[in-house]
Amino acid sequence: MHTCDLDISINKLSKIEGHADLDITIRDGKVENVDLRVMENQRFFGEAVKGKSYNSVPQLVSRICGTCSIAHLTGCIEAVEKTLGIRPSAQTMLMRKLTMYSLMIRDHALHLYFFVLPDLYGVDSALDLADDKKELIHEALHVKESGNNLSNFIAGRAVHAPFEAVGGFSHIPDPAMKGGVIEELRSIRPFVLNLIKIFYDCPWKLERKTNFVALATDDFSFLEGVIKTSDADLIEEKDFWNHLHSVVVPYSQASGFEFEGREYMVGALARLNLNREKLHPDTKRDAAEYLKVFPSQNIYHNNLAQAIEILHSIDHAIELLENNDFVKEEIIKPERLSGEGVGVIEAPRGTLYYWLDIKDGKINYVNLVIPTAQNLINMREDIRQMVPEFIGQGEDAIRKEAEKIIRAYDPCMSCASHFLRINWI
Amino acid sequence: MTQKKKVAIFSFTCDEGCSIYLIEIFNYKLMEWLNKIELKYFLSMKDKVEIKDFDVVLVEGVISSEKELEDIKKIRDNTKVLIAMGTCAITGQPSGQRNNFTNEQKERIKGEIEKYKMLPKCLTLGEAVKVDDEIPGCPIDDKKFIEVFEKYLN
Repeated sequence: MHTCDLDISINKLSKIEGHADLDITIRDGKVENVDLRVMENQRFFGEAVKGKSYNSVPQLVSRICGTCSIAHLTGCIEAVEKTLGIRPSAQTMLMRKLTMYSLMIRDHALHLYFFVLPDLYGVDSALDLADDKKELIHEALHVKESGNNLSNFIAGRAVHAPFEAVGGFSHIPDPAMKGGVIEELRSIRPFVLNLIKIFYDCPWKLERKTNFVALATDDFSFLEGVIKTSDADLIEEKDFWNHLHSVVVPYSQASGFEFEGREYMVGALARLNLNREKLHPDTKRDAAEYLKVFPSQNIYHNNLAQAIEILHSIDHAIELLENNDFVKEEIIKPERLSGEGVGVIEAPRGTLYYWLDIKDGKINYVNLVIPTAQNLINMREDIRQMVPEFIGQGEDAIRKEAEKIIRAYDPCMSCASHFLRINWI
Repeated sequence: MTQKKKVAIFSFTCDEGCSIYLIEIFNYKLMEWLNKIELKYFLSMKDKVEIKDFDVVLVEGVISSEKELEDIKKIRDNTKVLIAMGTCAITGQPSGQRNNFTNEQKERIKGEIEKYKMLPKCLTLGEAVKVDDEIPGCPIDDKKFIEVFEKYLN
């Protein structure tokens, strides 16, 4: 029996997106408190969007987060279109899927190779692997670059993509480039299978029963569908907010969320647990052995789930590119200029919800629910469960495990710090 | 052999899009640069180290709180070259968007500005400390980044 008092503080967690601090208070060997505080300085997006025109606001909210700017852009565009009665063309939807795939490839690869592998190989930074595991770093750079090139090809750029807009894309991809993009995507498949194997073999384990929540899309394209939970609820996008309530985290720039009064998890693990049968046939074939792991309650399988999602993104992107040519289309105009609407997509880190109120073409208010904010309470409960197991190994072991757990969620603090003080009537 | 340049990258108030984009530039430049640089501080990629004896520092974001102002002064005192990376650091926008708020909007955010000891106005990097060079773009442009950064590697 370990009876001890410990105050563990981590100031500025590294290898996550944005800034966060963590305090764990242990009294008589028991966890008294876990405080995960988001330490981003506010940029006041909730105010900044007010009065902006409906077609400029997606590019504005893209600046909430450099990492997953494409998710904010796409989610906000969907909300604007639902609000104003714009039905995007089949080609636009296809190009949005490709844009989301380019994001998933880059973003998951950044997390897995640069943030998680150092923990797995016991080094501080992926750069420390450049001598010992040079091949792996080369593979990392290739995988990321092919995602980056797919973003460039379809949406103009990987960060703050300039071509994706309300009602359609402002540019169509250059047909002369298509073959090269497909070939590059195909060339990274073996690297991604290697990455999947690494996370399949990874011995890390922290299992805890929780509720998983994800938008289940018919072709696993992250864009449209019904919200599913592991409690077998089915929820329309527009009703999602009714099931949530926000939980204040003291001294933090972000609050957390509960779903039906309980902590829950969103992200790749939730998607694989709830919707893996919709993965691309080539992914299901080549990852068959690894997919047997799901459904899983081991939080570290979020890493495996991300690696499998990279493969799916490659496979479906190749199919869409091979079977479609792109033609110039007019941007679709709104049917009305006032109203309220909801857009929900799956961002790399989980379900992203946008609720807009537009009046005479100008934004009245925006409410968003960010994946990392939804995962905050779940992270806290995971840390609480981990501590008794590691307390015998001392403060450093707890510190290291806590960082590993937080990183497994791939949290984004830049995102989490926004839009959390809206008063609802 | 000449000594490797000690490089550090810091993010102040912003979306960190420039450092994310820099990691995209790394896709094709990192291996070459690692022969010339030692990356000392980059929270996106490694654990933190003491702020001391840097050769080249890249900074993104605006300076929005008293704490950030203190930190950037310390960084300036400990580097030979300081480069402003991206439109936020150079012009204060878009991350300093509260500077352009109406009086009514400013009133609504006043409580938080005081609570978190934020500066009355977001500062550009040049308003906070002396800046040696700049790389524009939102996010930074590949070619311009490489051109400016490589000037300081020899």
